[in-house]
Amino acid sequence: MRVFFDLMWFFQEHKKRYLGGIVLLIVVDLIALLPPYVVGIIVNELTHHTLTRSRLAYGLLVILASALISYAIRYLWRILLYGGSIQLATDLRTRLYHHFSLMSPQFYHQQRIGDLMAHSTNDVQAVQETAGDGVLTLVDSITTGTVVIATMASTISWELTLISLSPMPLMAFAVSRYGRILHKRFHLAQAAFSDINDRIQEYISGIRVVRAFGQEAWERKNFVELSRDVVDKNVAVARIDSLFDPTIFVIVGFSYFLSIAFGAVFVIHGHLNIGQLTSFTLYLGELIWPMLAFGFLFNIVERGGASYERIQQLLHIVSEVQDRPHALHIVPSGDITYHIHAFRYPNSERAALKNIDLRIKQGQTIGIVGRTGSGKTTFMRTLLREFDVQDGDIAIGGHSIYDVTLNSLRQSLAYAPQDDFLFSASVAENIAFVRPDTAMETIERVAHMASMDGDIESFPEGYQTLIGERGATLSGGQKQRISIARALLQDAEILLLDDTLSAVDARTETNILAELRQNRAGRTTLIATHRLRTIEHADWIIVLEEGAIVEQGTHDSLWALGGRYADMYRRQQLESLVEQGGGRG
Amino acid sequence: MSMEGLEYALPEVKRGIFVRLLRYMLPYRGKVILSVSILLMATAADVFQPILIKIFIDGYLIPRHFPEQELMWLGGGYMALVVFTAGLNVVQLLLFQMLALDIIQRLRVELFDKVQKLALAFFDRTPVGVLVSRITNDTQAILDMFMTVLSTFIQNITVLVGILIAMFALDARLAIYCMFLIPVIIGIMILYRKVTSPIFHLSRQRLSQLNAKLNESLQGMSIIQAMRQEPRLRKEFGEINEAYRRVRFRNTQLNALLLRPLMDGVYLFTLALILGYFGLYSFSHMVNIGVLYAFVAYLSRFFEPVNNMLQRLNFFQQAMVSAERVFQIMDNTDAAPTQEGYANPEIKEGRVTFEDVSFSYDGRTDVLQHISFTAMPGQTVAIVGHTGSGKSSMINLLMRFYPMDRGRITIDGMDLRLFSESELRRKVGLVLQDPFLFVGDITSNIRLGNDFISSEQVVEAAQFVQADEFVRNLPGGYHAPIGERGATLSTGQRQLLSFARTMAINPIILVLDEATASVDTETEEAIQRTLQKMRYGRTTIAIAHRLSTIQDADLILVLHHGEIVEQGTHQQLLAQEGLYHKMYLLQQGGSTEINRA
Repeated sequence: MRVFFDLMWFFQEHKKRYLGGIVLLIVVDLIALLPPYVVGIIVNELTHHTLTRSRLAYGLLVILASALISYAIRYLWRILLYGGSIQLATDLRTRLYHHFSLMSPQFYHQQRIGDLMAHSTNDVQAVQETAGDGVLTLVDSITTGTVVIATMASTISWELTLISLSPMPLMAFAVSRYGRILHKRFHLAQAAFSDINDRIQEYISGIRVVRAFGQEAWERKNFVELSRDVVDKNVAVARIDSLFDPTIFVIVGFSYFLSIAFGAVFVIHGHLNIGQLTSFTLYLGELIWPMLAFGFLFNIVERGGASYERIQQLLHIVSEVQDRPHALHIVPSGDITYHIHAFRYPNSERAALKNIDLRIKQGQTIGIVGRTGSGKTTFMRTLLREFDVQDGDIAIGGHSIYDVTLNSLRQSLAYAPQDDFLFSASVAENIAFVRPDTAMETIERVAHMASMDGDIESFPEGYQTLIGERGATLSGGQKQRISIARALLQDAEILLLDDTLSAVDARTETNILAELRQNRAGRTTLIATHRLRTIEHADWIIVLEEGAIVEQGTHDSLWALGGRYADMYRRQQLESLVEQGGGRG
Repeated sequence: MSMEGLEYALPEVKRGIFVRLLRYMLPYRGKVILSVSILLMATAADVFQPILIKIFIDGYLIPRHFPEQELMWLGGGYMALVVFTAGLNVVQLLLFQMLALDIIQRLRVELFDKVQKLALAFFDRTPVGVLVSRITNDTQAILDMFMTVLSTFIQNITVLVGILIAMFALDARLAIYCMFLIPVIIGIMILYRKVTSPIFHLSRQRLSQLNAKLNESLQGMSIIQAMRQEPRLRKEFGEINEAYRRVRFRNTQLNALLLRPLMDGVYLFTLALILGYFGLYSFSHMVNIGVLYAFVAYLSRFFEPVNNMLQRLNFFQQAMVSAERVFQIMDNTDAAPTQEGYANPEIKEGRVTFEDVSFSYDGRTDVLQHISFTAMPGQTVAIVGHTGSGKSSMINLLMRFYPMDRGRITIDGMDLRLFSESELRRKVGLVLQDPFLFVGDITSNIRLGNDFISSEQVVEAAQFVQADEFVRNLPGGYHAPIGERGATLSTGQRQLLSFARTMAINPIILVLDEATASVDTETEEAIQRTLQKMRYGRTTIAIAHRLSTIQDADLILVLHHGEIVEQGTHQQLLAQEGLYHKMYLLQQGGSTEINRA
């Protein structure tokens, strides 16, 4: 029930709605008492032959009127309460989305997208049910219960009410006992289900081993055992589960018995008439629902509480990358200086970058080369402030990147990352991602610079062709070029290409590089790549190994040095020879 | 009042799927009949309870006639009936749940068997998560249907019928009037369905838009942030979120207009009619109060089953969607190749021959073209070539992972297709590039499910591949636990264990897919020494990435775009100064001579 307190902020925000809804719910519960009461009177007058036409008409009118009024009220409270719970779900989703948009890559590294999605769908759903069905069930079962019992006690006979309700503690005892056992067994059943999930996951991942070693029969045996275990654990759950409702009905039946038996005695002694007894049993029938509802309520609230807790936990994570206090709103410009003594990724022992001292002059093109894992991407990510450097500093035009706001910093940087993620939207929308209202000519111009214009024009709907799951499938090279065009459209002072030309063929790459040289004169470009030919003409090349700069210089000076760069260069020339068939024919 | 607000919507039932699901009950005919009979008995007993009260009111209470003995019987009978009903209900509920669990178990195993028979290509195309979800989550959703939906429907329809019969027994004329309720209720359901169907679809559409937007944003968040588009995307998400809220609200409005509140209205209206009927009748005739009581009681119970069934409909809907997905896999025709004929030839010598083998995965581009060669017993044939040249495809064919396309592969002169699965798997040992380890311990990973391998043989195999030493140093030795994918071991150690796994079955033919993963030099040397040993006395087909490891091969095939462009021994190929020569020089660290080329 604690979740209701946790959600108090929302109930308070929507005070009128909830108060209104609850009042209406209570009113309708009260109105629901009228028909049985009227039935009782009419039955009574029938037995005593005192019923008149006008009395009958009057009684029927009351029933019909209460039918109409309660229809209207039931409609209204639903709109209020369920409308509220839908609003809560919408608010929670908005909050989550807002929160997600503030999180740094570190967050996405630790959380799996499937989990985050689950929070935003299943958990939000469970909270919504708590705020809707949960509130309803709570209010309804309490009001129905008290009102019905009060009516039975006050209008008919409090003695008979007490007698008929006397088996109830027994039910409370039984149900809570079942609940405890069920909880435990359910836990075991869930664990068994988890086991079989993991097992299949592993089986499918290792399918080649299974096939190669002919392990199908063994795997089947394992699977059958595990799925049998799931069945057994669930049967254990079912054994308790099937006791619930029948137990409640035995108790209710016992209540009926007591009320009829003692009611008859009361009738004989004239304390009660038959009509009252009829009403009484009808009221008793109205009590079945609140009793069943309470079990149901616990179920909803337990799930809702757990889900709300999970959502809160997520919302409480603070991003590691944030604007520092007093950060300036200046878009930095000028030479880039790296002074990094050591940079480690969170929870990592190994320095991903170390002893980087480098000055990149405004307007230069810098090539960053090195093996996978040598620190090329990290070099760029620290500049983008995807991760903050603890031990060292990076500055642009004399301003530390930590002294300006993230927003300002990112205005001076255009980034085409390694995993060229495109959105499921049209080609034009993807290119103009940074400024959706960009004129078509500009989009076409950057597409041309990225040598993508020809490809796009050959698409069935040109720039309006949809990309993504339901759209055209693009080749790796096409994706990379769109991602470059997208970055170019930003028109930022510093352009970062993180291995974004790897899937582009040699001739296209040359074109793109030529366009870049022409259009980005006076502005800085950083290109990280495996392929040395890409950065052959760069103003300065740095060679990274295990996070440190091991060689730097121009292509010619590095070639003359005859070190790692020269080595790599030679190998790559050979590799391209082999791939082309080794100069055969 | 009942569980008011569970939002329900009427599904579009795909009849074929439902019928097909029901067929899974056939093997359990006996149990189904038993459960249903008990359910019917329980329901009948349940319906009978108010009749006893009616007998009491009419026969004893109103005439003020109280013979002690008879009343004891009546009261005792009533309580006995209550307990009996409850007992039957417990049994019935349990039987249905057990039945459902059994059916799902059978469905799961059947699905698993089907997956086992699917071609590897299927696994290449289908993400692991999707497949896992089919076998577990989707079958779970179907379970809910068998567990609750079916019994709810059977039970509630029985209750309805029982109530109707009881009503007829009490007062046929009044019961006939009450029959008019049925078309009214059905009419409301049809109206509801008609009105909400478009809203329901819209709502699902909006929800999937919402999820798609969220998913995409989460995936592309770094780009969104780098390009400072957070505010715009928040706004876009907000709009989709709001659109979804609106359609949900509309749905709630319709539910409130047409479902429970309306049913309650109909109930009260009918109640008024019955009272009116009895009232008017009483002015000219004697009215039987007991009948009136029973009628009113039945009427109040009449609407419960209707509402119960409405509530279950969305479970039903979900189950149908899941069943459709499960059946998609069941109906997949992409089967893995199996033994043809019943000849059961044996592999004795291990002579492997490719005869003009061509192969294509997609039926359009050939990844292998006219491959022919023979590996004599005990020989090593090495396949080299760049990435995508077709090396792995050759192994996929030899392992019978994919069906033969054109040409044929023979072992000891017999067509590969003729061998039994067990013969092939025991005599042809594959060492995979990615040494996949299972959760378990060292022994279970070497032995796998091959019970014929004794613990001694496990140790021998480990010793043979020089894994014994590191295994003994592990806490627990051969019973040291291995976590998911063997994360606790180094790449080299995992590699050695996968060698041991292959050596434990002592194959005649060895198929090596050499690891590309880099290990430290020391481990690398150990691995190479072990491979030398393993190859000794066995026909070996090896994919090599490092030419240095196969210089002693009896035959080296150089693949380029699916064709054998050069073949011969190391020395012969070097002398040709072709592709192999260049690759060799490349791996030697390059030379100035090549540099000029």
